[in-house]
Amino acid sequence: MTLMGSGDMEAVKVKIADLAALKERGMIITVGLGSCVGIGLYDDNTKVGGLAHILLAESAPYKNRDGALNAAKFADTAIPELVRKMESLGGQCRRLQAKIAGGSQLFPFNKTGISVGEKNINAVRRTLKELNIPILGEDVGGNHGRTMRLFIHNGQVKITTVGKGEIIL
Amino acid sequence: MDSNRLDVLKELANIGVGNALTSLSTLLSGEKIDMDVPVATLVPLQDVPEMLAEEESAMAGIYIKASGDVDLTVLFVLSLESANNLITSLVPGSRGDFDEMGISVLMEVGNILTASYLNAISVMTDLILLPSPPEVAVDMAGAIVSTVLAQSSAIEDNIVLLKTSLYTKQTEINGSILIVPEIDSMEKILGILGLG
Repeated sequence: MTLMGSGDMEAVKVKIADLAALKERGMIITVGLGSCVGIGLYDDNTKVGGLAHILLAESAPYKNRDGALNAAKFADTAIPELVRKMESLGGQCRRLQAKIAGGSQLFPFNKTGISVGEKNINAVRRTLKELNIPILGEDVGGNHGRTMRLFIHNGQVKITTVGKGEIIL
Repeated sequence: MDSNRLDVLKELANIGVGNALTSLSTLLSGEKIDMDVPVATLVPLQDVPEMLAEEESAMAGIYIKASGDVDLTVLFVLSLESANNLITSLVPGSRGDFDEMGISVLMEVGNILTASYLNAISVMTDLILLPSPPEVAVDMAGAIVSTVLAQSSAIEDNIVLLKTSLYTKQTEINGSILIVPEIDSMEKILGILGLG
């Protein structure tokens, strides 16, 4: 994560395979979600919010590769890691609500079967369900990229696109 | 990944891209194409998107996966204006839009560039490399790059990246060619070139 700007609005940038959490104020932004999925979690009670930008669905096939595993890269490891981070700021897993975006198929990829984006969305849903975190809003699928902002003071999520308008979740 | 090995990959990119740009120049009726010296770097996965362009800016991306004896990903990224210029110079009279015609022009350019690049690598290494049909997306740069990384199952935390930028004056085309070899493939190529 990178700290951007200063002053009124603390803005933290989450890169690909990255995550961050904030409390009470500020904004977390992730740019350029294609087949990747952005997962925004929010505890309204304590105003703790977190955002993860996952690249792939499952960590299991990659675990033996080179030992070290970047938990933030995979849906099944990033979400629990984000929850831990939010708990350390005072958030509570049982109060968390999720808003998710991304998982699109940018290139037509003349292939049959399920796209990387769909696999990512499915893995995010599965992991959230296992943690009993309800999905409050979503903007997923399609064939365009998205930028996602999570506002920490109220848990609002804003999705912007190139030429496809913007959505508030 | 020491600098010696990166240098060899850089030289490989240099020869491959040189070959590809000769083909592009032929397409553009012999127009001169300038290119930067290719950069071969080991980049943290997280930093790859911002290396190409401002992440939220709209770009055209032509993506080709090459497989066979080794696997690598080729991504040709152009600003929308450059992509328009490319389309109108190859199809005089067209509007340069990203309609069916425009997209197929970009795919064909991707085909020709990649085929000549892969040819050069094949000649040097005796490896067989077969390009997949090109895919084109017009969207924010960050989304294009991260999708390509996910598609190539970029499982490593550091990615070897070969990058070159090219410029033409008359037709005003600026673009970058990005090549991402899969890690096993890179070892194989380096092995053949005596650096295994």
